[in-house]
Amino acid sequence: MSVIAPTFRLSYFLRSILDNVFWIIVLVTLVGIPAIQIVLFYIEMPVIDGELLTPFLALTWLADPSRAVPIIKALMYTDFFRIAVFPGFGLAALLAAGTIFVERKMLAKLQLRVGPFYCGKVEGILQLMGDGLKLISKEIIIPAKADKPIFWLAPVAFVGTAAAFVSLIPVAPGWVVADVDLGVLAVFAVIGFFPIVTILSAWSANSKFPFIGGIRALHQMISFEIPLILSLLGVVMLAGTMSLTGIVESQDFFPWIVFLPVGAIVFFICILAELERIPFDLPEAESEIVAGWLTEFSGMMYGLVQLGTYLKLYAFAALFTVMFLGGWSGPMLWPPFPEEIITDGIQLGPVTATIPGLPILDQAMLNGVLWFLLKTVAVIFFILLPRGVFPRIRIDMLLSLGWYKLIGLSFINIFIALALLYAGVLGPGGMI
Amino acid sequence: MADAVFLALSVLTIGSAIAALEMRSLIYGSIALMGSLGGVAGFFFLLDAPFVALFQLAVYVGSIAVLILFTVMLVRRELIFKKIEDRRRKMAGIGLLLVFLVSVGALIMSSGIQQMDSDSPPIDFREIGEDFLVYYWPALVVMALILSGAVTGALVLARREVESGTN
Repeated sequence: MSVIAPTFRLSYFLRSILDNVFWIIVLVTLVGIPAIQIVLFYIEMPVIDGELLTPFLALTWLADPSRAVPIIKALMYTDFFRIAVFPGFGLAALLAAGTIFVERKMLAKLQLRVGPFYCGKVEGILQLMGDGLKLISKEIIIPAKADKPIFWLAPVAFVGTAAAFVSLIPVAPGWVVADVDLGVLAVFAVIGFFPIVTILSAWSANSKFPFIGGIRALHQMISFEIPLILSLLGVVMLAGTMSLTGIVESQDFFPWIVFLPVGAIVFFICILAELERIPFDLPEAESEIVAGWLTEFSGMMYGLVQLGTYLKLYAFAALFTVMFLGGWSGPMLWPPFPEEIITDGIQLGPVTATIPGLPILDQAMLNGVLWFLLKTVAVIFFILLPRGVFPRIRIDMLLSLGWYKLIGLSFINIFIALALLYAGVLGPGGMI
Repeated sequence: MADAVFLALSVLTIGSAIAALEMRSLIYGSIALMGSLGGVAGFFFLLDAPFVALFQLAVYVGSIAVLILFTVMLVRRELIFKKIEDRRRKMAGIGLLLVFLVSVGALIMSSGIQQMDSDSPPIDFREIGEDFLVYYWPALVVMALILSGAVTGALVLARREVESGTN
């Protein structure tokens, strides 16, 4: 029999705490430390004081703090860190979470509402955490006649595709998960998977609203992929390379948006359509077809799709930054690391602590990340903004916009790029 | 390493190709076709041709497979297919396939492929582009005309008749 509010007894409380401590100690010794050792075994360890750091020595940083910073640095240059934390999934998920909150709050302010308010005392900043907990604890309901394997796989595949897209984005010089020589083509290849996942998930739910939404999403994504690809060709021509890192490096002096504003506008509109955001949110039109292709998802499956959507939003905004706004290039804003901490150490009263291995990150990288994030957040803001302003457009207007105007404009953009290239103004061997 | 990847890709490509033919559900069949096309893209990666591989992914998996999927979703299977299957047809199909494979294999083996130097560096796609612009330019012009014709045709097809008085 369950009791809603059992009477509090100190002995029970202490016993439960002791119980937890016991299990934590047992698990750390039996699982935690061996796991750390195994992970360290596969990481290329640094050489400190002429001595190769073995996994056994590495754990001694608890006793010898001078090893801590080199170990952290060695961890930061592993592939796992790149994929899971910094230029990869961790950063993107953090930005995605921030985007969801800012979107709700900003939209509310635009429409003279309050928005999330009660969770977390200050302007509802814990609303997101509450939503996440709710989604995790909700039951996952699968429609009785759904195609179960595809229905289970679709949200995971969606997040996976979005994460693959994120992995191609260079954040700072040298800080990219997959530095592909053909980055732009790889982006096109990855984008091509989104309609497949969408239509499969829509079909597998075996319900009419998801199916209509999925068909609309398919139409929209396929028809806007063409101007999206064409609008990037001008940049590729002028930069003379397909590598995203190379494209950023070609914008040291001026971003391409200065010379190719038409392409930038076309690309931005295509981003809005690919992301199914208002005014192009026909696949999720809530007043006609419940929630479009997301209708039958519940609980954490919906959460995964939502995570994938916002990862995709971050990736597209970052792609706009990389292609048209110059990525990480910008004037040096980040203050240099104080030299005296490296040479003299930190003085705390009578104690002087010198820390070997500083600085952890160099100034150029931090400055690059700062500029990249500033530009990307600005682009995300402009992607969110139409939601508070515009109504949804009709599907025939959508298709005629995609097939007529945007394709025509992107051809005009290509001709502008060609003219600049052949006039010898820009591009490889150009005047500037 | 490369051999293991090659074997895995072969199993994936051939297995999903067979699955694409044999699956009763058309949707699963087209998903298997997608796997097969993706496996071919993997072969191109193994052959140091990432350009072709990425185009294989973007065009075949990203567009053609979507087209097939879309078509399959809009039709009823019973209306277009009637199951004709007996033992003799199956045997004849397998025999025909074997004859075809053996003859193609014999052709390839007797051609000059065995004298090829496998250590030479892969051809850069920039060289292919240069060749297209210099030596094969008529082909490029013809391709460009066909493609622009296709785009114009698509635009004409997508055109909406303006009704009098409305819009």
